[in-house]
Amino acid sequence: MILYAVFNVYPILSSLNMVTRKWQGMRSTFVGLGNFARMLKDTIFWRSLGHNFLIMGIQIPVMIMLALILAALLNEVKHGRGPLRTIFFLPCVTSLVAYSVLFRMLFQTNGLLNNLLIRLDLIQSPIGWLNDPNWAKATIMIALTWRWTGYNMVFFIVGMQNINNEIYEAAEVDGASRMQQFFRMTIPLLRPVILFSVVTSITGTMQLLDEPNVLTWEGGPANATMTAALYIYRQAFVLNSDFGYAATLSYIVVLITAGFAFVQMRLLGRRDQ
Amino acid sequence: MKVARRFSVSRVMIGIFLTLVAIVSLFPFFWMLIGTTLNPNAVVSGSVIPGKEFALNWSKAVKNYNLPVYFLNSLKIAVLTVLLGVLANSLAAFGFEKYRSKAREKVFSVFMLSLMMPQIALVIPLFKLMSSMKLLNTHAAIILPALMSPFIIFFMRQNFQMFPTEIMEAARIDGAGEMYIFFRIVAPSMKASFVSAGIYMFLSQWNSYLWPLMTILSEEKKTLPIAISSMMKAYTIEYGAVMIIVCISIIPVIVLYLAMQKEFVSGLLGSVKG
Repeated sequence: MILYAVFNVYPILSSLNMVTRKWQGMRSTFVGLGNFARMLKDTIFWRSLGHNFLIMGIQIPVMIMLALILAALLNEVKHGRGPLRTIFFLPCVTSLVAYSVLFRMLFQTNGLLNNLLIRLDLIQSPIGWLNDPNWAKATIMIALTWRWTGYNMVFFIVGMQNINNEIYEAAEVDGASRMQQFFRMTIPLLRPVILFSVVTSITGTMQLLDEPNVLTWEGGPANATMTAALYIYRQAFVLNSDFGYAATLSYIVVLITAGFAFVQMRLLGRRDQ
Repeated sequence: MKVARRFSVSRVMIGIFLTLVAIVSLFPFFWMLIGTTLNPNAVVSGSVIPGKEFALNWSKAVKNYNLPVYFLNSLKIAVLTVLLGVLANSLAAFGFEKYRSKAREKVFSVFMLSLMMPQIALVIPLFKLMSSMKLLNTHAAIILPALMSPFIIFFMRQNFQMFPTEIMEAARIDGAGEMYIFFRIVAPSMKASFVSAGIYMFLSQWNSYLWPLMTILSEEKKTLPIAISSMMKAYTIEYGAVMIIVCISIIPVIVLYLAMQKEFVSGLLGSVKG
């Protein structure tokens, strides 16, 4: 009976999973050394990859810090915790394309954000959020932070609630300030959760595609927000339908992602011991 | 005395900070609603005063942009994915958790490995596969690859772990078949997990962009996200109407989220034990 069920269940699973497996056979016919040589000389690809790392380097620390602060503050407040949590989490349920379009409108040169900043006397002339290469990168980072901070915050809230209250009471008795408690106790104790968030964010950023495609328009201005994934997509489907080359490039992305995943496992594993 | 006052000042500061963040989180949604009532120029210049063109924008969205078609396409694809996907994934997860076999953990780890695969690396071979199966430009091309989700299998397996195997054994002694056990005994008692998995699948399919963008070419088969992005590519853009379509693609998800917050969050957070 058990065997019957096993054979009943496994085929469903394996036949459906063919979709993700069969490609391994097809890939080999396309990869040649020529593609690798071309990749090495492809400055746009390496620059795109550089953008991925730049966004990771700036946006992820800011977002994680902000999420930690929000989580800590939400654990402090007595009233309105539930509604606030709902509100902070809301951005991450929206469709990538829809919010990218929305942000594209808000960040127009003569758009709402610039008008607001001028009205508040924070800037003299409009910022080219979408036209200036550096500001365009900033726009992408702001949009990412808006969407994902609440998501990470929820992980941290759950993590913080699992920390035993008694150690805070002990710290209180020993005269540790709130700030000290946060930096010396909460953050170290949350390390596994933070690490998980960081790695999820890194893999997410490696695959960043929708925002630069819609929000800053096909990786513009002049490829300033081109990301590796978007470049691969454009190589395969928009520019010259070169599947072989695109697959070669995607190898690099897979390798980098796998590298980060490996580091994560090592770090988490060491903690468990 | 002094301590007490400082305490309340910091309370107020926390309150102000949290309110500001809440405003920033909500503002784009709020403005999206205003945007549906504006004429195209006012949308671009970011007016915050509601206009009077909602009816006009709505009729443009329906007539010029085929809004109902896109909406129904998105809905059909997402619902089919949820129904078939939750069934297939939960059966698979059930098999992984409750039935012994030598290869079990090995197969499972292969699945978990595919969880880490970046989407961009999968879509190219998948595209080739779909074209050889002559499924390009069909909704089946969007639904089929989304059905099997290693994440959902992982999530459901974690949940099945909590279901006592003794009950299954008791049912077997009473002569219940394996499928009967799954559908009549296990599934009803784990509704919340199924709902969470369903919400997760609905969300990712409803919002998915890259894959439908690659596979769907004809206008009448487009889903909301690709329709929106192709509208933005047009020479003249009816921004007010686009805002309505953006609304239509965001509001159902928000309603779903507000209505089933608990299942929703646990579905998204999934693997993390609370």
